Amino acid sequence: MTTRSQVLDRTVAQAMSGLSATAKKGLGDPALAELVMIRASQLNHCAFCLGMHLSLARKHGVSELQLDLLSAWEEAEDVFDERERAALALTEAVTVLTDGFVPDEVYERAARHFDDVRLAHLIGLVVAINNWNRVMVSRRIPPGGYTP
Amino acid sequence: MTTNDTETTVEYAPEPTPRLDWARHAPDVFKAMLRLDTAAQQGLDAKLRELVKIRASQINHCAFCLDMHTKDALAAGESVERIVQLSAWDESPHFYTEKELAALELTEAVTVLTDGFVPDEVYERAARHFEETELVRLIAAITVINAWNRFGVTCRRTPGHYQPGQHS
Repeated sequence: MTTRSQVLDRTVAQAMSGLSATAKKGLGDPALAELVMIRASQLNHCAFCLGMHLSLARKHGVSELQLDLLSAWEEAEDVFDERERAALALTEAVTVLTDGFVPDEVYERAARHFDDVRLAHLIGLVVAINNWNRVMVSRRIPPGGYTP
Repeated sequence: MTTNDTETTVEYAPEPTPRLDWARHAPDVFKAMLRLDTAAQQGLDAKLRELVKIRASQINHCAFCLDMHTKDALAAGESVERIVQLSAWDESPHFYTEKELAALELTEAVTVLTDGFVPDEVYERAARHFEETELVRLIAAITVINAWNRFGVTCRRTPGHYQPGQHS
């Protein structure tokens, strides 16, 4: 697999980084942020982002068991708490818009665990990782280039 | 919404209530989005940009974004025919330039990542019509409308109130 393009406008890259950083900070839970970003990157098949966020997740103390079971979190009730599960369900709905909207029950479940400010930042974080997934997959940026 | 014609009054379903005023609750995120939006608009033809935004918003079912970008496209001189045919562009190629068709195909692939990657033939077709810097700008523009679509749908922003040029 060859990289298609290394080009990315500096202003675009900086603005994307700014969006990610501000959303992550506002969510205020670095470990959960990594779970969310890994799950979105799994759905969008972004190898670069998976490499980067798996490595960051380990750095933030996310357990190997959670990382192993993340793509089947719904079936792993003992491994993810209710708040994490609500965030992951929202992550999936916001990432897979093409299948149709964000269901009320998914939104309301998230709204029970996150106040408006945290929820707005959580949505921002899902958007931000979706941005990176698109920019990396399109240009076919290979995994492994990131060190925390 | 109520519409009067000569004989009858049509009663439409009530307008949904937005879920969350995300820009008010996360003004830092909103500001970062505006900065990204401005950065990604650079160097792309305005008409092409609106076609891309409308097509992505159709695929992501973002009513608010469709309202905004069809109005902006019309205000920029786009034809009704080209907007109407957009969701079936593959069957109406003679409404669009080869360059626009390549951009629309790339828009769909980059928007529907969950179905699997961006195919080589789609990327290469786009690369024949856009030089590398312009192509990456196009990818950035597709990415950013996808971002607005996600906020719009998730927070259920309601369509119908946008005035063309309101945010420019």
